[in-house]
Amino acid sequence: MPRPKPDLDGLRAQIAALERRPVLADGAALVAQGRQGEENDLLGLLKAPPGLLHEVFADEHRQSGAALGFTLGLARSLIAENRQALIYLQLSAEAQEIGLPYGIGFSRFGLTPDTLVIGRIGTVPELLWTLEESLACRAVAGVIVDLASHPKALDFTASRRISMRAAAAGTSAFLIRYGTGREASAARLRWHIKPGVSAGQPFDASAPGHPRFAIEIEKLRLGQARQSEQHHLIVDWTENGFVSIDTREQKQLRPHAPLRRPAAPSRPQPAALGDRLSEAS
Amino acid sequence: MLWEKIKGGMRIAALDHAASRAGLSIGQNISDARALVPGLLVLEHDADFTAHVFSEFADWHSNASPIVAVHDTMAPYGDLILDITGVSHLFGGEERMLSTLIGRLRAIGYRTEGAIADTVGAAWAFAHFDPGRIVPEAELEASLAHLPVNALRLSEAQVAGLNQMGLKTIGQLAGRDRKALQARFGATLILRLDQALGGIEERVTPRIPIAEYHAERRFAEPIGYLDDVLMTVRDLAIQLGVRLGTQALGAQSFHLFLYRVDHKVMTLSVNAGRATRDPGHIAQLFVNRSERLEGEYDAGFGIDMIRLAAGSLSPTADVQVGAFEIDDGAEDLARLYDRMTSRLGPLAVVRSKPVDTHIPERAVRLEPVIARTPDDPNALLNPPLRPLRLLPTPEPVEVIAEVPHGPPLRMIWRRVSYRVLKASGPERIEAEWWRTGKRLAILTPPVFGEAEIAPQDHTDPAKKPVRAEPPAQHVSTLESFDPETTVRDYYVVEDEGGRRFWVFRVGLYGAASPPRWYLHGFFA
Repeated sequence: MPRPKPDLDGLRAQIAALERRPVLADGAALVAQGRQGEENDLLGLLKAPPGLLHEVFADEHRQSGAALGFTLGLARSLIAENRQALIYLQLSAEAQEIGLPYGIGFSRFGLTPDTLVIGRIGTVPELLWTLEESLACRAVAGVIVDLASHPKALDFTASRRISMRAAAAGTSAFLIRYGTGREASAARLRWHIKPGVSAGQPFDASAPGHPRFAIEIEKLRLGQARQSEQHHLIVDWTENGFVSIDTREQKQLRPHAPLRRPAAPSRPQPAALGDRLSEAS
Repeated sequence: MLWEKIKGGMRIAALDHAASRAGLSIGQNISDARALVPGLLVLEHDADFTAHVFSEFADWHSNASPIVAVHDTMAPYGDLILDITGVSHLFGGEERMLSTLIGRLRAIGYRTEGAIADTVGAAWAFAHFDPGRIVPEAELEASLAHLPVNALRLSEAQVAGLNQMGLKTIGQLAGRDRKALQARFGATLILRLDQALGGIEERVTPRIPIAEYHAERRFAEPIGYLDDVLMTVRDLAIQLGVRLGTQALGAQSFHLFLYRVDHKVMTLSVNAGRATRDPGHIAQLFVNRSERLEGEYDAGFGIDMIRLAAGSLSPTADVQVGAFEIDDGAEDLARLYDRMTSRLGPLAVVRSKPVDTHIPERAVRLEPVIARTPDDPNALLNPPLRPLRLLPTPEPVEVIAEVPHGPPLRMIWRRVSYRVLKASGPERIEAEWWRTGKRLAILTPPVFGEAEIAPQDHTDPAKKPVRAEPPAQHVSTLESFDPETTVRDYYVVEDEGGRRFWVFRVGLYGAASPPRWYLHGFFA
């Protein structure tokens, strides 16, 4: 039987299999699905599949609120019935600089204070250990690492390890970094976030409204999927999740996807009405 | 020779053999002793230190019997009690056990005597006055009868009094009228007599809590490397897991005792979030814990026995995940938290626990995930608009342009100037009067304050004590930074870069001191 001539895509898939990445087709399917569902690829990426390493960059420490908010928005869609927990890791020395996550504020992002387990860690090696340990756990939806500094230990090799771990266990990792410098990393997606001036509230234009983010995707490595044409996007976080905003017209486009609340672990599903009807007839 | 101060004089407290042969005795004045024996080596006696060293020494003996106590009726050190019920057969009988225990202490240079008897009192008497005996129950009274009355653990005055009356041995006391003896020498004499003869039970307080389930291993040659210890722990965890499994039990705390050759015990404890008996998990917890040891691990001359004990037992059935249940991963999570906690420490892995209060920094307590307490159902009703991040300590903000009773227009924070475009507020947060316990008292001027300063406010002792709440764990810096704080007005402000901050003003316009501004958190 003649062996089929391996083409470039086949070779890529083989390498991917060797490296235990998620199959590259996933990335292609994701973007393809985004293309079908949305006119905008970038908006589709906001619900990225699990098992990827994201980097979320903000320019300054004082934008840490926006960076965390955007990351929670990304991580939120990963919470599933058998993956309930988000883990947040921070160096305890940096808490005063960028602030501690505040449980009551999560409700705006559809999370209970309980969802996020906070790790306050002393050293960078321990932080990396904890990150890998948490990624390996199959009950964790995502691990958020908030690093105000640029430690040497977090180099390309380390990020590659994290990326592989994430792919192996299907748990996403989010690295929140600050500054304008970029180092080589194995992250699949790199987001650049800036807070935007909000639209104001419907009845009080002088009050801050929904959180607004100016998103730029700086790096997108999802297999052979074509690079997204659009790199910039402005979104609002609303009750319905991320909503794209056309700043030229200052009007809201249709919401991206209805916000699905994560189901409680063992709540029985109510029987559909249709079943009852068929029983009755 | 050791001395200590008794009744203002420096008197001899303890002697070695050579000194007592030279004619010195306990209680002698130190200058007399120096005159008798020139060149006497005299050291001050540190009773606390000796007691501490002796208690460590006592712990080490738990390798022979689980119940070890320091006998502190007469002195805080010097006498050791071992409950050998059901243990002696491991040493090949009581005689062999006694000679083994005494022998191994003599081998390293301690002068030791011992005896085995049915009561603590009798064992003490024989060990001190007729050492080396093993007294069966039937012969107890007869054997005690010819010992001197000192053997009853009496005070010096009692002994002197008894001797004066011609009562030299315990046997002479037996037939006497108990009431008369009690009237003459005090109730302790009767008590000690009964304790020695077994009429009254004497309690032994073990130094180390008794573990129902443990596994141990002794080594022919002492081991030293931490890796070897951890490998042994893995083996012991398997043994322990099987034992717990047969009883359908799981344990939450595990203690590792390392018995060193030089009579010291090192202990290492780990806790699990939920009861477990999985050997791999237990061993992993100890591996993680040992990485936090750093310099503390010191095997000395080696470790010759290791014991792994399980505590906080609870029934844990073998679980079968049903076909119709969805595995929510709670067990995986609990194990992850155990591993993280064992490596990073319990206060490093926390969750946010809502508290029913409206003071922002108190409204969330960071609680170790492995020691979670039930949530307060009132705490999460109608969560107000709160920032996503809170600064552990609010930072002062300089406001350049301000409107009285309005949000700031320009402010400087961390030496950077911000122009405020949008703002909402104020949300007024006052101190909680029900925590200070002072609200109903008429005070001029009214003193509000955070609960943290409440104890200082207590001027009236007749008042009901403030309901003391445990302090916020780990977030130690969240104290009230200003004891004179009365009111905070919080504003959400957005600057021209879209950054949203939570700032607040302390104090009111028109008051004696001008209001101050602080930045407390970041919104998304």
